[in-house]
Amino acid sequence: MSNPVYRPNRRALLRGTAAAGAAALIGSLPARRLMAQDAPAKPAEIIVRAWGGSWVEALKKGVSDPFTAATGIQVRHDLTEDNEIQPKVWASVAQGRVPPIHINWDTTTNATKSALRGVTEDLSDLANLANTTDLAKPVGLDGYPIVNTYGYVYVLAYRPGAFPDGAPTSWKVLLDPKFKGRIALYNDGIGFHFPAQVAGGGNLEDIPGNMQPAWDFITQVKQQQPLLGEDPDFTAWFQNGEIDIACTISTNAREAKKNGVDLAWTVPEEGAKFDTDGLWIPKGLPENELYWAKEYINFAISQDAQQVWCDGLGLPGVVPGLTPPEDLVGDPSYPDTPEEMAHLIRISTKVQVENESEWFSKFKEIMQG
Amino acid sequence: MPNPSPEFRYPLHWRLMDAVERIADLVWPRRLSRHTGWLFIAPALLLVGLLVLGLIQIADASLRTLDTSTFLMSEDWSTENYRKALSSSTYLTVAWRSLSAAVLTTVLTLILAFPYAWALVRVKKAWIRKALLITLFLPFFIGQVVRAYGWLIILGNSGMVNEALSLVGVTPMRLLFNYGAVVFGLVQYMLPFAVLLLVPALTAIPEETETAAGSLGASWPRILWHVLLPMAKPGLIGAGLVVFTLTLTDFAVPAMLGGGGQDFIANAIYDQFFRTADQGLGSALALILVAAGSVLVGLVFMIFGAGTLAMGGRK
Repeated sequence: MSNPVYRPNRRALLRGTAAAGAAALIGSLPARRLMAQDAPAKPAEIIVRAWGGSWVEALKKGVSDPFTAATGIQVRHDLTEDNEIQPKVWASVAQGRVPPIHINWDTTTNATKSALRGVTEDLSDLANLANTTDLAKPVGLDGYPIVNTYGYVYVLAYRPGAFPDGAPTSWKVLLDPKFKGRIALYNDGIGFHFPAQVAGGGNLEDIPGNMQPAWDFITQVKQQQPLLGEDPDFTAWFQNGEIDIACTISTNAREAKKNGVDLAWTVPEEGAKFDTDGLWIPKGLPENELYWAKEYINFAISQDAQQVWCDGLGLPGVVPGLTPPEDLVGDPSYPDTPEEMAHLIRISTKVQVENESEWFSKFKEIMQG
Repeated sequence: MPNPSPEFRYPLHWRLMDAVERIADLVWPRRLSRHTGWLFIAPALLLVGLLVLGLIQIADASLRTLDTSTFLMSEDWSTENYRKALSSSTYLTVAWRSLSAAVLTTVLTLILAFPYAWALVRVKKAWIRKALLITLFLPFFIGQVVRAYGWLIILGNSGMVNEALSLVGVTPMRLLFNYGAVVFGLVQYMLPFAVLLLVPALTAIPEETETAAGSLGASWPRILWHVLLPMAKPGLIGAGLVVFTLTLTDFAVPAMLGGGGQDFIANAIYDQFFRTADQGLGSALALILVAAGSVLVGLVFMIFGAGTLAMGGRK
């Protein structure tokens, strides 16, 4: 097996000025294509599955509203959880029905499962792919069954009041007895397995073969009686003073901070998990709806849409030359230097897809024991 | 039968009824009248049939394993999912937690529901009965999730209870996200179900029976123990069975009040279906839950009878 650990090279993500020049040229393409006279009949609406809160707001502002303005096609956001829409889409494709959504905004790992199952349309013909970084390409899959749209980091979010001496520097702070019962992790441990491997004294190169250091560290964390939940739980728990530290996606921490929660975040010395989300189209759509769904994704990876969408999320996009939001300049959760990228942990999607169920089960075994 | 006089005019509603009868005769001829009973239960049979079909499909899925290179279910059948489910310490822990919480919730709910139901039946003043009924039915209009969320607000570190405790010098304490909080939430949710099932059983006990026992010198606890509880046994069993099965299969309360560390079997099933996409293992867990619940309920039926659920059968 090839080395599953991929420390992204920022040079690969941010191409040179030549690419940026091409971007300016291609940037005008969507509008022209959207106006094309020979385009198939427009559907009344396109349904995009999305995450709620600041996530869907950013998508609406950056992609959906401008898409509607350019095409006249309404965009409806279906806020069904990504995990819950998956079996519905799989069932609809298996039964030859029209799928319940046109576009799935999904984690790359989940999307890869759908691609492996053969329920995704090929997106290789999207014109704006020419202007994207390597981050947009799903690793280990033929063509583009998914288009990755940005990267994100599972940071260590903390309440500054609980750290008067400054930001925590290590994930081992979770073992500090004063934080007993005041820690939150995702309820399947997502985002935490890999830094736990390092904090437990193991090597990333040993993933997935030997993750005992991760399980040992998580077992120690279990003694601290962590709360386990999802994104909205974390915000509520911070707001209600239930927790002091959490492993969460930086977007959630940033949104909570914007809403007045006293919150900061850091990437500890062991590193933090870096992953991507993407967009894909399920098979089974009528031809004209497939065309416009592809146009939506094509627009989503245009320079203009990426700038606004990723600004709202506070995450690095897949188009070169995007300007980071002011509050995230130099922030490790918005990696835009080779040094910052080198400090993050990225495990190949293939390894994650093949082993995720086992990791979730092991995490549950420890936490439910 | 004498002919009606020529002046007699058939009322319109008679004519309508005749028409309805003719149409009914076309749809369901009189010669089929001995099968009319089957016609009445046909919708119910259809629903049960659909459930059985669903169970057959779940049973089929439970015998197929997930291939994580294609995320498709295997073509061949095997008992691998059952082996995994029954040999996993996680699932055994979760199953034991579900079962113990179901028993505890049932006992606590019946203890609280019985006096409430008795008061509802025996109270003389109409306004008190109405108040009790409103208090009972109000939670029915509020879903389980909203109620659980309410407890998050009330019992949270900055919630009403902790604020009240701080007024008397008690430092805020963690009241949520533990086993006790889950059982508490379940008891609160199940209470109206238990009361509603107990009320008919207590209504059937003549008040004179209690009066007679009292007039013969029985104290109130003796009346309760020797008269009321034995006579209310069918209601207690019926209510207990409903509360037990609903608790055993509950999802929302453990998910919300358990803080992620107090999962029940339903939460484990959800994880398999929606988090790891392993419908085979999820189906196996679901069937094990159905089987375990059915066996336990069957045991209660055998030992205590079906209570009010027997509908006139064995008491």
